[in-house]
This record gives sequence, C-alpha cells and structure tokens, in this order.
Amino acid sequence: MEISKRCVGCGQCAAFCPKEAIIVKGIAFITADCIQCRICMAYCPMKAIEESV
Amino acid sequence: MRVLVIGSGLGGLLSAACLLRAGHEVDVFERLPITGGRFTNIEYKGFQLSTGALHMIPHGPTGPLGTLLRYLGSDVQIVRADPMATIRTPIEKDSTDYTHGFQDIDFHDFGKRFSLLNKIKLTVLITTTRIFPPKKGSMADWCSKNLKDDWALRIADSFCGWALSLRAKDVPAAEVFEIIENMYRYSGSGIPLGGCKGVIDTLIDVITSCGGKIHTSSEVSRIIIEDKKAVGIVTDDGKEHRGDIVISDIGHIETSRLYDANMATEDMEKYLTSIKELKPSAGVKICLSSNEPLIGHAGVLLTPYARRINGINEVTNIDPSLAPPGKHLTMAHQCVEWENLNRLKDEIDLGLSDLAEIFAGKDYEVLLIQSYSGEWPVNRASSGTDPTNKTPFEGLYIVGDGAKGKGGIEVDGIALGVRNAIKDILNQKNQSID
Ligand SMILES: Cc1cc2nc3c(=O)[nH]c(=O)nc-3n(C[C@H](O)[C@H](O)[C@H](O)COP(=O)(O)OP(=O)(O)OC[C@H]3O[C@@H](n4cnc5c(N)ncnc54)[C@H](O)[C@@H]3O)c2cc1C
Ligand code: SF4
Ligand code: SF4
Repeated sequence: MEISKRCVGCGQCAAFCPKEAIIVKGIAFITADCIQCRICMAYCPMKAIEESV
Repeated sequence: MRVLVIGSGLGGLLSAACLLRAGHEVDVFERLPITGGRFTNIEYKGFQLSTGALHMIPHGPTGPLGTLLRYLGSDVQIVRADPMATIRTPIEKDSTDYTHGFQDIDFHDFGKRFSLLNKIKLTVLITTTRIFPPKKGSMADWCSKNLKDDWALRIADSFCGWALSLRAKDVPAAEVFEIIENMYRYSGSGIPLGGCKGVIDTLIDVITSCGGKIHTSSEVSRIIIEDKKAVGIVTDDGKEHRGDIVISDIGHIETSRLYDANMATEDMEKYLTSIKELKPSAGVKICLSSNEPLIGHAGVLLTPYARRINGINEVTNIDPSLAPPGKHLTMAHQCVEWENLNRLKDEIDLGLSDLAEIFAGKDYEVLLIQSYSGEWPVNRASSGTDPTNKTPFEGLYIVGDGAKGKGGIEVDGIALGVRNAIKDILNQKNQSID
C-alpha cells in the first residue's frame, strides 16, 4: 500500500487497520506488518491510500 | 419534494432529519463506509477517539445544536461541563512558560491578571463592546489597541486556537465578541454522552424511522444542472438520481467541482471568485491516555503560555465509557497556521513538548496524533468568513462547516446554518420549521 501526498494525517485509516500497521504523525506511514487487505483504503476521507504497483 | 443530500456529516444529517420531519422524501449519499463525517467516534486501542471533533458541543444542551436536536426528536444527552474553562498560568508573575510551576484559574477570573488600570479598562470595554461591537479589525488588533497587555493577547490566541483553530490575528474582533456573547447566553459547552457518535446515532434513528435512506460507500460524482437549477445527482456507479432539491455537506469549493462551472454568467463568476478566497482552518489533535485524570474536569483547560497547544479537555470526567475501565481520555488541540503546514512534523513536536511541560510529573501515553487541513480541515470556512447556504443555482444549497450561521461556532454554527437553509427551502413550499 502507498500513501499519496493527499494524506493530511487524520489517523482515520489507523483505527480501521486490523494489523495496527499504520503509524501517523502529520502523514500516515505503513509498516511491514501490512497484509495488503486494503481495508484502510475505503476509510480514508482523502482517497490518499493506493495499492502499490 | 424529493431531496438528495451529499455527505452524511452533521450538516447533512441534520438537514435530512429536518426535511423528513416536514414530510419530504430524503436520500443521503455518503462516500465512506461510515456516517458522521468529522463528528463521529473511531475506536482505537479500546478508546472512543473521534474522526475530528473533541467530543464537545460548544454551546451545550441549550445552544443552537442542542435545541435543534431536541426539536428533531433526538434523545442524546448533552452534559454541561463545569467549570466551563480554567486557564493554566505560570506561578511566577513574569514567567512566560510552565517550567517553574503553574496555577489554574477559573475562566471568569481572567481579569485578575491585569494591572489595576487594565482591570478598570476591561470592565468598561466589556460593557461598551457588548453594546457597540467593533466593526473592523482582527481580535489581535483589538487587544493590542485597547489593552496593550501580553496576557490579553495570549488569552485571545489560546481561546481562538481552541474554539476556531485560528490565531487571534486571523479572526475578526466582531466575530469573537459575538461568540463570547453567546457563551454567556447559552452558558458554556457540553459533552454528548457516547461522544460525537452519541449525537450521530440518534440522528440516524430519526432519519430511518421517518423513512429516510442513507447510502454509505456511495460517492456523488456529479450534480446535474438544467436551466440553472439543480435537478439531480450522479453516483460513482453511474446511476442518476433525480430530485427537487440538492443539499451538499461538503462545502462551497468541493461542491463546485461537482458541476460544470464554465456556465459563464456574471453571478457565477462572482460566486466562484468569492469562494476561492475561503481558507479552511488547520489543526492538530493529540489524544492521550492515562490512569489518573490529567485535568480533573471536563471543561477546557486553556494553555496560553504553551508554545503551540491552545487547550485540552478530558471528556472521561463526564463520560467514562469513552475510555476502557480505569483509563482517561484527554485530547489536546493546537491551531496550525497556514504558513506552517509545510513543516507539520515540527509543529507536532512543539505540541508534544508543550504537553510534557503542561503535564510534568504525570504519567500518560500518546495514543494517536491526528492532523487536519485542506479538504479535511478543522473548519471548511474559518469562522467569520462563511458564505451563505445559497449557490447561484436554484435548488442547490450548502450546509456544514463551510456555511455556518453567524455567531455560533463549530457544530453550533452548523446547526444555525442548517436552520437558515431549511427555512429558505420550506418557505418556497409555504412551510415553516417552527
Ligand atoms: C481536530 C478537530 C477538532 C474539532 N473539535 C470540535 C469540537 O470539539 N466541537 C465542535 O463542535 N466541532 C469541532 N470540530 C469541528 C467539527 O468536527 C466539524 O465542523 C464538523 O464535524 C463538520 O461537519 P460537516 O457537516 O461540515 O461535514 P463533514 O463532517 O465534513 O462531512 C462531510 C461528509 O461528506 C462526505 N463526502 C465528501 N465528498 C463526498 C461525495 N462526493 N459524495 C458523497 N459524500 C461525500 C465525507 O466523507 C463526509 O462524511 C473539530 C474538528 C477537528 C478536525
Ligand atoms: S492494507 Fe490492511 S493491513 Fe495494510 S495498512 Fe491497510 S488496513 Fe492495514
Ligand atoms: S485516513 Fe487517509 S488522510 Fe487520514 S491519515 Fe490515513 S491516509 Fe492520511
């Protein structure tokens, strides 16, 4: 998963990640614990989470 | 009438409930899987954090939002915070930080820190400005012109930062006096039981029991305009939905991206130029967990001598269910000036070191740091700059914190704006809201 520049750092994604794989400080950062389940994508109000290609 | 609402934030849901009560058909479309926008709960490590707000209703149970919720049949309980606010001041008179100790004074006693001359001036000023509010200038201008006291400007900055996420230099003085007037009229803030979601859940109940429909994970991609009138919307699945009224809860600017703005009429150009000037307010909320209370009451602790933190509340003093058993939830707010947005991490670090001083010797843990700006801001239109609820198109209205009513702040301003919009809509059908 990739975080785009649109991220404002609201932390909403972190609350819905089942793996606690998102750290937020001004911008979100996805850790190695991510299992690519894509749940966070739907909850981002800024559409800032994209699938890595 | 068939009404289509874009966005299920507080403004969208309040509008939907008002029009359903007046007997109309309403569909709400929400892009996210959850309702409530920036005013609902998100669970994090067992705590009821929020998508935005600090679980606080500025004008409490009897303010514009509390009154509208009761009118709509919502049974959410809003508990008034007592004391309304305390102010943390350094213990040594000439000190400008909290490192040598501090004392908390009641908000109503803030005049005590002034010199005798300024005390007399303040008494006179408070009475005269209540009768003759200043027409021009910012709150910071007003303080430096009338009080010439470092304390006055600090209080103004901390109050504006907490309540509006703005610096005193960026708020018209007239707006601040109107807010203070309303604080006395409605006597201060309250915490809804269950937090923000306590309010949203009761609104959803009202909406569904009146036959209203809420479609989540359903983004509106276009507003259909025909003959300068809004006649429907298109959702991201390509479906067209026709209606008589479209109400948008996403602010004037974002709404204007949903229609063809090239219909160059003079009205349209004027409108587009005016909304381009709108600046959303930015801020950071730092959520803390502790075993012992850090503040001890549920009103706001204003921190005028911190570098960045403007104010802090501890909602578990009113509703313990917002934290796991035996824990407290404390939330600090800091305004971020627009020119500092490109160094947000440094701003957050300043906020964190403020908290270390404010809560020196106390045990707490930082749960989550949440920042807001741009299209997901603290307020879409910073207080005092809100345009009306109308647009150049017949049948297209804007509600929410991009079109607040005058004098109410935050969600109370949203409630005032919704009332204005609904009044206008119902007037055209010869109906009234009261
Ligand atoms: C850190 C912080 C602290 C705050 N503290 C307080 C407080 O303590 N008290 C208080 O009163 N206020 C507070 N506020 C302000 C308050 O949270 C907001 O003013 C309020 O929640 C905004 O409501 P709204 O109706 O404008 O809509 P929003 O909450 O912005 O809702 C809009 C909705 O529309 C949806 N949407 C967007 N685009 C589309 C589309 N194309 N199609 C469909 N749906 C769409 C969004 O997903 C969202 O759900 C705070 C805000 C922040 C950020
Ligand atoms: S994809 Fe799933 S695991 Fe990865 S960050 Fe998003 S929610 Fe967490
Ligand atoms: S929800 Fe979106 S905007 Fe908010 S922190 Fe996560 S990625 Fe950033």
